[in-house]
Amino acid sequence: MSSEDPSSDIPVIELKNLSKQYGEFVALDSLSLSVYRGQILGFIGPNGAGKTTTIKIMVGLAKPTSGTARIAGADCARDSARIKRLVGYMPDGFGSYDNMRVREYLDFFGAAFGIPRRDRIRRIAEVLEITNSTYMQDRYVESLSHGMQQRVGIARTLLHDPEVLIFDEPANGLDPQARIEMRELLLRLASTGKTLIVTSHILPELSRICDQVAIITQGRLRASGSLDEIMKNIRQRRTIEVQLPAGEDVSAAEQKLREHLQATEAVVVSSAEAVLRFDTTRTDKQLRQLLATLITSGVPISQFRELQTDLEDAFMSILQQQDVATTATETSV
Amino acid sequence: MLAILQRELVAILRTRKAFVLQFGLALCFLGLIALRWPTDNRVELSGARSGQLFRLFSYGMLAAVAMLAPIFPATSIVMERRKGTLALLLNTPLRPYRIYAGKLFAVLGFIALLLLITLPAAAACYAMGGISLTKQLLVVYGLLGVVAWQYSSLGLLVSSIARTADGAVRVTYGCVLMLAVITLVPYFFMQDWGGNTSVTTSWVRCLSPIPAMMELVGHGAIGSTTAWTGVSATTRFLLSAILMSTVFSGITIVRLQHHLLDQARSQGMITDDSGLAVRTARRAFFIIDPRRRSGNIGNWTNPVMAKEFRSRRFGRSHWMLRLVGGCAILSLFLAFTVTTGTVQWDLETVGGPLVLLQVALMVIFMPSLAAGLISSERENGAWPLLRTTPLSGGRIVRGKLISVGWTMLLMLAATLPGYAVMVYIQPTLWLQVVNALVCLLLTGLAAMMLSGAVGCWFSRTAAATTAAYVVVVGLFGGTLMIWLARDAPFGFQTVETALKLNPMAAALAVFNVPGFQTYNLIPASWWIAGIIIVVCFGVMRMRVQSLMRSL
Repeated sequence: MSSEDPSSDIPVIELKNLSKQYGEFVALDSLSLSVYRGQILGFIGPNGAGKTTTIKIMVGLAKPTSGTARIAGADCARDSARIKRLVGYMPDGFGSYDNMRVREYLDFFGAAFGIPRRDRIRRIAEVLEITNSTYMQDRYVESLSHGMQQRVGIARTLLHDPEVLIFDEPANGLDPQARIEMRELLLRLASTGKTLIVTSHILPELSRICDQVAIITQGRLRASGSLDEIMKNIRQRRTIEVQLPAGEDVSAAEQKLREHLQATEAVVVSSAEAVLRFDTTRTDKQLRQLLATLITSGVPISQFRELQTDLEDAFMSILQQQDVATTATETSV
Repeated sequence: MLAILQRELVAILRTRKAFVLQFGLALCFLGLIALRWPTDNRVELSGARSGQLFRLFSYGMLAAVAMLAPIFPATSIVMERRKGTLALLLNTPLRPYRIYAGKLFAVLGFIALLLLITLPAAAACYAMGGISLTKQLLVVYGLLGVVAWQYSSLGLLVSSIARTADGAVRVTYGCVLMLAVITLVPYFFMQDWGGNTSVTTSWVRCLSPIPAMMELVGHGAIGSTTAWTGVSATTRFLLSAILMSTVFSGITIVRLQHHLLDQARSQGMITDDSGLAVRTARRAFFIIDPRRRSGNIGNWTNPVMAKEFRSRRFGRSHWMLRLVGGCAILSLFLAFTVTTGTVQWDLETVGGPLVLLQVALMVIFMPSLAAGLISSERENGAWPLLRTTPLSGGRIVRGKLISVGWTMLLMLAATLPGYAVMVYIQPTLWLQVVNALVCLLLTGLAAMMLSGAVGCWFSRTAAATTAAYVVVVGLFGGTLMIWLARDAPFGFQTVETALKLNPMAAALAVFNVPGFQTYNLIPASWWIAGIIIVVCFGVMRMRVQSLMRSL
């Protein structure tokens, strides 16, 4: 995992109060974020959270309604010529051409970036080497497997040697072996001093490579910082799992549990697993009292334990907090 | 089968394209009838006016069915295969023939609906008198039904073979043009040769529905072979069309199996890595081998142009050379037949077939090459990638248009040997040849720019290609439809004005082709074509600029 360059206190990527509206729909709401040189930022959010909109603004494919996005000092909305040189972008879809071989495909994009022919030949060989794709240079791009296409896509983003690399769901649809290779490739790129932004739904993947994580839902930044910072924050809220002997006990147990919990302590029920989970900030002593109360009131409990938190749990916890907040707002209205 | 029929038909009817087609067709025929509806209260007993109108109506219907019938079937199977829904269909208990029948009847149902829309216009023709209900009107509708069946089954067959939707549209329209128009050419040249050649060419001619339609609307005397063979053109066409449709359907049903989806990925074989024998053989056969390892794009080359040449299966050099070679041989053959006296024509008359050959090539290829220039980028997801490169909208448009323009110039150059022979034999023809070449250049540019300007509004290449075909064929064929109805119902002025929109007609007039020599089309036709080209370029440029802009 790469580390932050201590000599650099100026962020390479800086988003300030970034907002984007499509008519009445708010896709992004005052998003502020900073990423430093050599860092890998994991950009996490459910579908429709605003990740792709943010990325599109950063690469100059969309304009913000308000706020600013800067990459290495260049304004993403106003200085698109510089942004194109600074950023390598791999979208979720591959964007292939029929009847084109991998080398021809890379040659075209290299020429589109104005790389002189001689340098281009050398650069194509380099990026194919970096992405372990040299053996497929004569294959037609549309005949490649998804994993191979992702590697060619990364090779394409590297052609003009950009400072910032933005990958939208690079691990999507890859098999475990290809995911491991992708992870190693991203770490290798970060080690060369590139700044990476990676979105993914596969959170364990991100947790293994990211220095920074930004969690976004409904266009708003819910949490950001290093993985440790987020975990520390999340750990203030503990997730407790109550295992019941049988699924039929769940609804009665849930009812009794809710009687003793506060509105902010969200309960998640899994009847199939015969499990109740809730987030809480109670101390161990308070939890012991709660357990005693539940047993006294006749809830058949076979296990009562705290769950270990990882990135996935952090993400789910933030989503639940948001759900609770939304419900509370709706109730008050 | 009913489930597929229902799904396909509803899917077709739900599209905006279907609505536009229905509405447009109804409006066209409504206008036609309104134009020729009697304004006084005298009865015309000869039925001449209704006859004229009926002819125009029938040819218009034939053109409409020939253009519209292949639209949906040409993309039907290939789209399902690419989307993956064909695999789902083949995994159901439905037998291939039921899947096929569902698709075919859905298209025929849509065409039947289109024909129903024209019934009021047909009824108005009939009400004007002079037309037989059973011997003309109903038979014309029957013929149109058979044409729809033939071209729909052809479209489905091509769709089962093609790899891309736009490729399927291109090949289907090429085949339709071949069946409907090119089949008339051998008869045109060889009808007087006698013996088996004449018999064969007269049968080949009847593969086209045009002679059958001419016979039905009373143009039968023109080139009719009924007198000496005893079999009418209509019967010949019906026999051949039914036979072809059955064969096309049979092959498509056989192809609708799992092996359609069971194809290995290309391993990207490169000739440079093959043995000496293979390398030598391929280089001798291809001249420019499509499997050779291509060089890198030059520093001064527009990368978009190079990319267009490389990513188009047809646009690759070996195809271009084949096309040019074929055209050059054909044009020399035409010049040779005239100079050796095989065909009893004036030398300048050979210019007519040369013009038609080139325009046919351009009408077939320009929409397929130019319509998808922008839509293909949007469809395959490469447009956002292009936008993230430093390429400007202007450079992208220029690169794309130059790639098509080169192809067009090659087509144009292909028949130059034929013209060169004409000028060599009769040097006084040089001015006519130059004028005709200018007309052809403008024809090619107009076809290219119209296709590009129409196609850039679509996000699907197949839809863009279809729309471009309709517009280009509408311009070049539609004006000829008006010319076909010259003197009646359209007057000289109307026909001349319509022909001025068509630079091909100007080229035919330059060579004094019968029927065109009375019209004075140059230089008005050049100006109009120039305006069309400039306006279309402006439209395309603006559209691309708006697509490049961040929203």
